[in-house]
Amino acid sequence: MRAADFVDSERGHIDRRIFWDKEIYDRELQQIFARCWLFVAHESQLQEPGAFLTTYMGEDSVIVARGDDLGINVFLNSCPHRGNRVCFADSGHSRSFTCNYHGWAFDLEGDLRKMPKIGLYKATPGFRMEEWGLKRARVASYKGLVFASFDAAAPSLDAWLGDFRWYLDAVLDAEEGGTEFLSGGATRSVMNCNWKFPADNFAGDIYHALWTHLGGSEPTLGRHGGVMVENTGSYQVSVNGHGWEFNDSFLGNAATMGDRELLRYMKSRREAITARLGKFRADMWGSVASATIFPNFAFLPGYFTFRTFQPKGPSKTEIHAWTMVPKNMPDDIKDRFRRGSMRTFSPSGILEMDDGENWEHSTRANAGYVTRHQSLCYAMAPAGQLHDETLPGIVHSGQLSDANQRLFYQKWAELMDAESWADVPLSPSTIDRAVAAQ
Amino acid sequence: MNASAKPDYSTYPNLTLDEARAAAAQLLALNGAGAPVTDARLLQIERFYRMEARLLDAEDFHRWYELLADDLFYWAPLQENRFRRDKRKPIDAGNMAFFDERKADIAVRIGRLSSNLVWTEDPPTRHVYIISNVEAFETDVAGEIEVHSAFIQYRNRSEHDEASLYGRRRDILRLRDDRLQIARRLILLPQSVLLTKNLTIFF
Repeated sequence: MRAADFVDSERGHIDRRIFWDKEIYDRELQQIFARCWLFVAHESQLQEPGAFLTTYMGEDSVIVARGDDLGINVFLNSCPHRGNRVCFADSGHSRSFTCNYHGWAFDLEGDLRKMPKIGLYKATPGFRMEEWGLKRARVASYKGLVFASFDAAAPSLDAWLGDFRWYLDAVLDAEEGGTEFLSGGATRSVMNCNWKFPADNFAGDIYHALWTHLGGSEPTLGRHGGVMVENTGSYQVSVNGHGWEFNDSFLGNAATMGDRELLRYMKSRREAITARLGKFRADMWGSVASATIFPNFAFLPGYFTFRTFQPKGPSKTEIHAWTMVPKNMPDDIKDRFRRGSMRTFSPSGILEMDDGENWEHSTRANAGYVTRHQSLCYAMAPAGQLHDETLPGIVHSGQLSDANQRLFYQKWAELMDAESWADVPLSPSTIDRAVAAQ
Repeated sequence: MNASAKPDYSTYPNLTLDEARAAAAQLLALNGAGAPVTDARLLQIERFYRMEARLLDAEDFHRWYELLADDLFYWAPLQENRFRRDKRKPIDAGNMAFFDERKADIAVRIGRLSSNLVWTEDPPTRHVYIISNVEAFETDVAGEIEVHSAFIQYRNRSEHDEASLYGRRRDILRLRDDRLQIARRLILLPQSVLLTKNLTIFF
């Protein structure tokens, strides 16, 4: 199988089998999810030593724990003795993780520390405790977001995010003091769709909002003329398969939460954020926008919902979502974001509820043999690439286009076919050079 | 609340953050401590619930909306898997939730459903809402009744698309001229991962 045969990223023809075929899905777990940097936590979720949460990297269950050295450790949530899951809590505080089956206990680093009747193993020739810890992943973070990778050969997180970091600062570094995830864990729900449909949607599909979300935006935006999206003052940017489509409206997304107090507050911050980030990135803060960090971590400026699309088989995906706010935001405004993001982008959200059925049936239709041998059209390209040296990454003018999604699938195909990272071209990171030159 | 009238939802009934927190605390504390209501009152409440379920099954949202008190607090918190030894409150009003609504927010949701622009509800979903295990108790406030119940919310749309949601409700119902209103509602869904794609329904 060559993934490149399924993706024509020049013309934007995508073979529908990549959304259905079990063999392709299994290869994604190996070539993409076991290799790439995957989002696992926000640092604010793990404030002190012993704080932990459990999540997934691909279909691998992992524990994310703050160690005594304040470092964040990520390791497999599966006991190497008989394989049982070690931790069944979603989050909590613990000094160790003890397997229910035989009582093997692991510390905050994932190292095997003790087990019942340890003398049996001491009397076992060649048995060494240090060989039987929970397999650890590499861990790195960018401005509060913690990522992990099980591939020792993967490039650094900084190289992988590359110039996308410059844009990420528009949501991660808009205000002094950093960001936090609002408390209470992830909002989790199941969609019977392939994980790539929501991922490509967030990478660059604002086009759907004009039709899919007519009903959801009617009560909040109807008074103001509905969803306004144009190809002037708007962009798509892509770096290493990560994609962000956005306009310069500053609070266009936020407006659909229908909370005037919230908008008043955001406007009051505009000057300070502009001073911090410059006008271009400040205008991105809450604008009509969506983004995906390849492969399955996505967010929406304005609502500040951050979510992973966790693969659970070729036609099943779990959405895990959190709301991120600047730490220094007033509590009342944080609560407005908590409720506003829930009311728009959660399983009960008036906008998210419009999406699920589309993705489910885009997936399910491929049960048909003839259907799945058709191509999907990712051809929209109304404007060309924009060459502006002040804007890093591959930038297209106009947010209404399939440019980012074609680049998402190009990266997908490269990773699927790559023997090693040497075969995966990465964009040069220009912002590090700019920082180094200062 | 029809699309052409373009209602201004910011003028609809709402709660302050403190009022919402107080309502949440009240709901979390409900444990059947008061005297059981009379059989006649219990029958009135059960009739009310059967009517409410029928209105929701029939998508008669505007009549259902009239059953809500202006100071409504309507809440479906998330439930995490946590160890028994975990010292955090299992449910916290400051946490993320599936619903955390005031009457104005319910009006927004009904505005969406009434817009005739919600393609994913057209053709419509079919619902059956079953309410059971109803227990009702007097409270310290005259005319306010604490009610516990259990529910099954079955839905089916298209061909194979179905979901069954089971759960518990805690209500504060208020008597006004011998008619019942929903003043507070806590919806406890036992799923930590919602095993369906959305909650395009009311409980």
